[in-house]
Parts: sequence; C-alpha cells; structure tokens
Amino acid sequence: MRMRASVFGALCMSFAAWSGFVMASPYAAAEPGAGLALPAPGSYTLDHIQQVPFGIVLDGNRFPRMLSRYTSGKITLLSFFYSICADPRGCPLAWDAFEQVRKAILTHPELYGRVRLVFLSLDPEHDTPVMLKTFTRSYEASAAIVPWYFLTTYSYLFLNPVIRNMGEEISIDREASSTDRLVLNHLLKVFLIDYRGWVREIYSNQSLDPAAILGDIKTLAIEATNGDDQRR
Amino acid sequence: MNKKARFAFAAAVIATALGIAAPAARADETCLSPYTTSLIKGQEAYLHVWTLGEKGLGDESDKLVTIDADPKSKTYGKVISSVSVGGRGEAHHEGFTDDRKYLWAGRLDDSKIFVFDVGTDPAHPNLVNTITDLTEKTGFVGPHTFYAIPGRIVIGTLSNNKTHDGVTGIAVYSNKGEFLSAHPIPTDNGGDGYGYDIAINPQKNVFLTSSFTGWTNYETDLGKLVKDPEAMKHFGNTLVLWNLKSFQPEKIFSVPGAPLEIRWSLKEGDDWAITASALTSKLWLVSHDANNEWQAKEVGTIGDPAKIPLPVDISISADGTRLWVNTFTDGTTHLFDISDPTKPVQIYEKVTGKQVNMISQSWDGKRVYITSSLLQHWDKTGADNEQVLRAYNWDGKELTLAFEIDFFKEKLGRPHHIKFSGATDKASLDIPGRAASR
Repeated sequence: MRMRASVFGALCMSFAAWSGFVMASPYAAAEPGAGLALPAPGSYTLDHIQQVPFGIVLDGNRFPRMLSRYTSGKITLLSFFYSICADPRGCPLAWDAFEQVRKAILTHPELYGRVRLVFLSLDPEHDTPVMLKTFTRSYEASAAIVPWYFLTTYSYLFLNPVIRNMGEEISIDREASSTDRLVLNHLLKVFLIDYRGWVREIYSNQSLDPAAILGDIKTLAIEATNGDDQRR
Repeated sequence: MNKKARFAFAAAVIATALGIAAPAARADETCLSPYTTSLIKGQEAYLHVWTLGEKGLGDESDKLVTIDADPKSKTYGKVISSVSVGGRGEAHHEGFTDDRKYLWAGRLDDSKIFVFDVGTDPAHPNLVNTITDLTEKTGFVGPHTFYAIPGRIVIGTLSNNKTHDGVTGIAVYSNKGEFLSAHPIPTDNGGDGYGYDIAINPQKNVFLTSSFTGWTNYETDLGKLVKDPEAMKHFGNTLVLWNLKSFQPEKIFSVPGAPLEIRWSLKEGDDWAITASALTSKLWLVSHDANNEWQAKEVGTIGDPAKIPLPVDISISADGTRLWVNTFTDGTTHLFDISDPTKPVQIYEKVTGKQVNMISQSWDGKRVYITSSLLQHWDKTGADNEQVLRAYNWDGKELTLAFEIDFFKEKLGRPHHIKFSGATDKASLDIPGRAASR
C-alpha cells in the first residue's frame, strides 16, 4: 500500500509540476486583455467571512490533533479533497492550484515560514493517516518554507461537523461509485485563512487563480505585519 | 484503494494540466451568478415564486410559492407548497447561495431578508432564517439583487434610510447570514450613487451595477409619480464597472433612463453584457474596444419609447444569441436576435398579459415563464391588475401556453421573481457517515 501511494504521489507531483511549467492555466479566472488588473497586495481588504470551526484531525498517525493547530498562527490555504477524486473540475484542480501557489511562495522570501497548505480528506475510510503521510513526505524538502499537510479524521462522525460548518456540502454519487471507487459530489472550495483562524477568502473553480491567491496571501501578510487585523 | 482508482485521479490531474477539463459555465438558467452550482440543463422540476401578499386575500402575507413544473408529474402546473413569512413588505427578488442549497428573498419596504432551505426538499422549502440588520449595519434600504459568490451573498440595494432616494450601495453577507461589509455606489466622477442589479464576470475580474430609484419613488403610486417632474428626476442614469477583487469602482458609464437587469453573454469567449433602460426603452451594450477600454453603447430600441412601454426584466439565452424582454405597460414579451450584440433585431413579440414583469427561461431555451407584478404601487388597477404566472413552450417560432396560475384566484397574492429547482435525487441526499451510506 505504501509503495503504491508513493508511486501515486510521485505521479501527481510530476504531473502537477509539469502542468505548472508547460501548460496554459486551466483556471476560469482573471484573463489578460480587457480584464481589470488584480489590485496591489495590501491595497484592499478581505472580509472576515467566518472562523474555522473546532475539529479533531489526524496527521500521519492516529494521535488526535486540534484542527486549529493547522489553521492559525500562519496564513493557511485549505481545501477538502479525497485521494481517489477523479473529477477534473474538483480535487485535481485544487491540487494544481496549490502546487502553483507553493512554487510561487518559494520565489518570495518574504513569505517563507508564513504560509502553510492543508488538504483535509473527505474520505476518512480510505484516506488513512499512514497513506496520507506519503503525500506529506513528498513535500518535506520545502516544508520549512511552506509546509503542506495532508490531514484526515477518525471517521465521518468527526469530519461532518467540520465540513458542514465550513459550508462544504458532500454526498455520495451512487451512480458513479463502485465497490472499489467512491465518488463524492462536492463543490470545490478553497479557503484562505488568516493568522487568527478567520476565513478571509473562498475560491471556487470560477476564481481559483493562483495569481489572485498569491495577492491575497500577501495582503494578509502585510496586514499582519502592520498589525491591522485588530477588529476581531 | 485500487490501482485503477489511483490512476483515475492521476488521469484527472493530467486532464487538468492539459486544460481539457469541461468548460466552466458562467451562469445558470440563464441569469444566475456564475458561481452557482448544479446547473439545471434539462427539465426544471419546480418554480419558486417570491410573492407579495395582498390585503384581503388569503393570509395576506408575503410568501414563497412553489409550483410543480415537471410535465410528467401528476401535479404539473399546480401549486404544491407555500411558505408565508408574515406581513407585507414589498417582496421582490430572490437568489440562490453558491451551493444552491438556500434561497435568499428580500423585501424592498421593510428591508427584511428571508432565507429558505430549498436544497433538502425543493418541493417544500423551509424558512430557516430572517435577516433584519441590513439597514442597521449599512444604512442601505431595499435589498434587491441577491448574487452568490463563494460562501457569500452580494446584495444590491435600492435606497437609504436618510434621504430615501436612490443613493445606496452593496452589502456582503456570509452564507450563514452574518453581515460582512458595505460598499457605497460612487456619487463622484459622474456617479449618481444609485443601485439595482449586479452581474459578475470572474474571468475579467469585473462586475457591473445598474441604477433604478429610491424608496420614496418605488413606494409611490406610479400614476402620481409620472406626473411629478421633480420625482421623475430621481431615477438612475448610470452603470458602474467595478474591480471584482478590490470591490472598488473603476469606471462609470452614463446610461440614461434607469438601466435595470444586466446579463453577461454566456457564450464561451464572449466579453460583453447587455442591459435595458426602463424609462428610455433602449438596449445598451457593455463591451471593451480595441484598446481594451470598457464602454457602454446604446444599440437598440424596445417598442415605441414615446409610449413608455417600460422594459423590465430580460433573459439571455445560454448561447448568447437571443434576448427575451418583457415590457410592463403593454404586457408584451419581445424576442431579440442578439447574434450581433451591436445590432439587436426584434424577431418576435406576443402580448402575454395585461401587465408583465419577470421572465425566466430554461437552459435549453424551450420553456419561458413570466409573472405579472412589478411593485405593489406600480401594478395596474381594476381589471388590468391580473396577477398570474404563465408557462410557455417555445419552439423557435411561437410561444404556446403550457399552463397558467391565477395568483388572485388561488388567494396567494402578486407573483414576482421566479427561480428553478431540479428534482430531488435521493442519492444526492446520501451524506457519507449516515447509516448504511456506504
């Protein structure tokens, strides 16, 4: 199992990396030409949409950890996913965007150590801590600069309250599912979370633009540096 | 997890990388926010009609009326549920959250906003929240347009609590109903500060707002209003182009005569929007020129402007080549060919009522629904005050009546805005972790 996951993780990494260097962006987001330019980081504010709810998650083993450990103290980009998701408008799109954001941060020293990436599994029955640890290991080389955590939960009993409070709805697509392949209907949402655990932006497949995400991350970093986020 | 499944994900990553994912639809049946999920591209199952209560009729309350729209159903064309919200406050427009689970509906008089759960059982919506702090938080009055963005609703409003004219703004709420921010519509650089509709184009990082009139005017009898020259000066004359990311206005266009509904073309690659000005009866196109500068240009006339036909709602086809326009005064439904949006050509018209306001079409363009009520003080009186929902089939040549519901006879009130829901799929409610879910 571990070897298979490792092979799979390597595949994903190479394809995602390849996409970032070679291919045009698949995102339905701001286009050049007549589109208005993204505003300069720090020149605009992001709403305090909601606080990340309480939750218990697993990171590499069966030891329970607070979700807040992964959603506060740094700027966090969080998405729900599951490892066998095959909807090209879903998890793979988020993965590719995260990969591009990660690479962009590597070229911005002012953001080193200030940002983390988090994937939280929607399929705790298949995405075990041990299996997901393989994904985490794939990004260990850059973990000091921008760590990428692959989290799961004990069960849906722990997961469902978190996703419900985050406004993420999931259901089983029984028609597409089979005995060895679960297909979940879910709306792609990627959450940008500030140092204090407030969701400050939510991206969908209409707005998952790595350039916009990077601008928002810089905006939150500037806000934190200036001590501007005092109103909550 | 088997090997096949792993490679399915890997293949999806490749597909994403190659940019061969399914093209993103910008909107939904066909005038919703591009962020709204679960497009109904086939037969809609239910119509949700936000309805003004009528004194002396039924329970007299504003209500959300749900109608069976599935021709295969035994209750096709019938009212199957109604949720009264209490009181009358000028029920007007409604809009889905991005996940399409909730429907927000507003009242222009008391500025209350009602949130219905339409995802759990769309045949029987359930009122789950009433938001009453819009004016307290923003100073804005008259929540009009409810436009979904991820996790939030952007609300276009019509007035304010100080002057009660059309100077107003945009409010943003979380899907949970918590106020997040307020954004005044500009009153400088040619702006009049007035508001009405909102329409977002995420690909261009822009959105547009239009401009109507304030509380004093829309709560005044229309016959009295048109005879008051001073009051008639207080209508919007602008469209505003905003930067979507910063929520800052970038450009103000002069569009005389109260431009109302705004529709971006849904055709992939198109970068233009169209609107109709109510008082001047004109079609206006918003697009960018060769220098990538956004412009607004008058491109067509609706009916005879001298007769003030009052174009109200418009509905664009999914392929961006047709535009339905309802004119209230003469009760006429018009169809324009907008294949060349710079030269709209009317190709069909039909009198569909004594007064007609809202119009909604299915994604495939084969069905068109209209309602009659504009505003409680602007609707016609006496025998001309029919209050109906009419469903038509469109074969490309003729509108054929499929069914109609007389809202007065049914003791419901005055039907206004229409939204669709699809059939409830039991599997879609099968949440992982529930008993026997796997």
